[in-house]
Amino acid sequence: MRVRTRSIAAVALASSVALLAAACGGQSGTGSTTAQGQEGGEISVRGCTPENPLIPTNTNEVCGGNVLDAVTAKLVHYNSDTAKPENDIAESIETTDNQNFTIKLKTGYKFSDGTEVKAHNFVDAWNWGAYGPNGQLNSYFFEPIEGFADTQCTDEACKTAKSETMSGLKVVDDYTFTIKTTSPVSNLPVRLGYTAFAPQSDAFLNASDKTELGKLPIGAGPFKVTSNTATEIVIEKFADYSGSNKPHVDKVTFKIYNDTSAAFNDVVANNLDLTDVIPADQLVGDAWKSQLPDRNGSRETGIIQVMTFSSKDTQLKNVDLRRALSMAIDRDLITKQIFNGARTPATGWVSPVVDGYKAGACGDNCTFNKDEAKKLYDAAGGYDGTLLLSVNGDGGHKLWADAVCNQWKANLGVDCKVNITPDFKTLRQQINNRELTGLFRSGWQMDYPSIENFLTPIYATGASSNDGDYSNANFDAKLKEAAAATSSDEANTLYQEAEQILGQDMPTIPQWYQNSQFGYSTKVTNVKMTPFSTWDLSAVQVK
Amino acid sequence: MGKYIVRRLLQMIPVLLGTTFIIYMMVFVLPGSPLDGKCGERPCPDAFVKKFEEEFNLDKPVLLRYLLYLGNLFRGNLGTNFYGNSVLDELRQRFPTTLELALIAVFFIIVVGIGLGVIAGIRKGRFADHLITVTTLILISMPVFVIGGLAQMVFGLKLGWFPVTATDGTFNQLLLPGMVLASLYIAYVARLTRTSLIENLRADYVRTAKAKGLTRGRQVGLHALRNSMIPVVTYIGLSFGGLMGGAIVTERIFNINGIGFFLYRSITQRDGVSVVGTIALIVIVYLFVNLLVDLLYGVLDPRISLD
Repeated sequence: MRVRTRSIAAVALASSVALLAAACGGQSGTGSTTAQGQEGGEISVRGCTPENPLIPTNTNEVCGGNVLDAVTAKLVHYNSDTAKPENDIAESIETTDNQNFTIKLKTGYKFSDGTEVKAHNFVDAWNWGAYGPNGQLNSYFFEPIEGFADTQCTDEACKTAKSETMSGLKVVDDYTFTIKTTSPVSNLPVRLGYTAFAPQSDAFLNASDKTELGKLPIGAGPFKVTSNTATEIVIEKFADYSGSNKPHVDKVTFKIYNDTSAAFNDVVANNLDLTDVIPADQLVGDAWKSQLPDRNGSRETGIIQVMTFSSKDTQLKNVDLRRALSMAIDRDLITKQIFNGARTPATGWVSPVVDGYKAGACGDNCTFNKDEAKKLYDAAGGYDGTLLLSVNGDGGHKLWADAVCNQWKANLGVDCKVNITPDFKTLRQQINNRELTGLFRSGWQMDYPSIENFLTPIYATGASSNDGDYSNANFDAKLKEAAAATSSDEANTLYQEAEQILGQDMPTIPQWYQNSQFGYSTKVTNVKMTPFSTWDLSAVQVK
Repeated sequence: MGKYIVRRLLQMIPVLLGTTFIIYMMVFVLPGSPLDGKCGERPCPDAFVKKFEEEFNLDKPVLLRYLLYLGNLFRGNLGTNFYGNSVLDELRQRFPTTLELALIAVFFIIVVGIGLGVIAGIRKGRFADHLITVTTLILISMPVFVIGGLAQMVFGLKLGWFPVTATDGTFNQLLLPGMVLASLYIAYVARLTRTSLIENLRADYVRTAKAKGLTRGRQVGLHALRNSMIPVVTYIGLSFGGLMGGAIVTERIFNINGIGFFLYRSITQRDGVSVVGTIALIVIVYLFVNLLVDLLYGVLDPRISLD
């Protein structure tokens, strides 16, 4: 999951982490512009300061992620309209049992330092990323690969591990390698497009000090980083790029903006070409659209917002009480009045943009029905004391939290109070320490476009983002069965059945799916945002 | 004089030690860790946490960490921040912008502030005086985010006279934020100059000058104004020191990549290393500007001896 830490920003973006998926390309027709553009030229894009060195296995937030997306090529590439994985460096990814994968590479892909991308560049990079003592943020993405456990630290200081390599990765020849996973993973090929799975050059792997290469990374993508300072990051078209995502523009400058309003105003004045965050005050009454007529857009992205029930709160273990709270929320009204349509009411736990999405898993429980809600609430015995709803104060969440609380008060008669933490970091600290009672806000942005990414990491027993400590043996068994399925249709059906189980247990209250708004200058055309709410920099053109 | 300067420089050492110590403790002893939320909705991997803590000495007692930090500080090494960048490098890239902004602001403060003050002072009780008093009152009452936002909206977006933001930090771009930053100080300086000048115009030596038959211009410019400048110079000097510490609100509105916003971001990101480093720099600058102001006293009024 990619972390969004734009705390200043607007409505929601602040930190709803999650990665997302998919796309329903057709539905979000405003996701792109279509006029004719020219080849070449330069554009400027709103950027922010990367929080970590630009190393694929160590970057999990948008500021660094936006740059790395453009400079790395992976085995597969997600289509910027549909989010469907398409082979990029991979010639083929084959498996018969979803546990042993054979990957053949295309020849001719080059890193920006001129060396060719070979099988060992993948295997060595993944081993390096997984190896405990290297302390990489994204190491958990390699967890399904056999032998991952042996690469984790064995001592307290985290200096040694049993093995530097994962036994599940084997180089066959220069252009072929194999992956063996600990248990079947039916959607492994979909995951391989995530940034953490990018290959690394020999120069990087052999460097003893990687600081410099964390500033000017070497990747095999359509762009390369040519300058990286405190105020801007410049990427230029990589002439020897041999993939199919060749960019039209020659140069893209990520200008570091500290404030989303400043970036927005610069786009209005045509000083900046692209901004992917619209300030909250501009969303009111659609002011941003009148400021940027014919140069605004919005895109359905793989981000979902939910409210999680605290595992500490014994009263909230009652499923009927959970259903009552969910039914008492008028999602349509809130998304219209507070978000001006920038959110879509959720009908389940999976974003509509991913492969395997099926509407309605939450069913009646997510449909506003205050009479039924009140009946359930009374039958469940109500809630004693004050019900706390915790949100972070730096992401524009107070408005909807107040609205939800007021609806609970009015429709159920529960004594509800919004608890605002100073920032996202404090909220996460309290959630991770299990200090909160009542409900708290959680967001998820997909890492890779699969229904599985919205279920396993959040609701499987003991999963890393299972903030509500949800545990259901049937649900876990379904996930396992789905992971072992032989076809992706079969896997999706099983994952959908797993999601139905969530509909019965209500581990969280789904609220809404998030759309991303963007604006651009009069200078550019073919502006396209991906379902991951990142730019498709290969599509954009100068007029 | 030389002795005085050396004494003042030596005094800076305990001040610097004291401020860095207090800030260091405040940043690192307060609850909250830079790792909170770093990995989004999931806790960070253990191996990452271990490496992070070791790299930044977070696993050692806080006093020991402070001493390690201090040792590096005196070798000119401000450390690496939690983003993996050298703090010295970050400051080096941002300081020129903040300095330029401060100089532009001080230029406006001196020219406009003292100018208005003199006009109000010599025309005491007349229309110009009232106009200036009312205008400065308005400026003083308006918070800088209102002035800044308005100026950006009107002069940048609507009229297009100035660039909307100062993202690249060029002189052109910094003019408008410089004026915004100066506006509040202009109001104070104008009022200070006015009061001080009126006081001095009533003094005996000005009457003497008048009796000698000096022109009005020489009475005011040479005699009264010079003596009226002492409080004004102190004020301007101190505000210059403050301006060099960065202007958080103005830098944010106009997206100026200077010290102020860097400090703000570092605080919100709990990037303690950057916070302490930036404050150490601000303290040093402030102390030097202060010294400079004190030295200027002697120049303005030879009766003030520094030895």
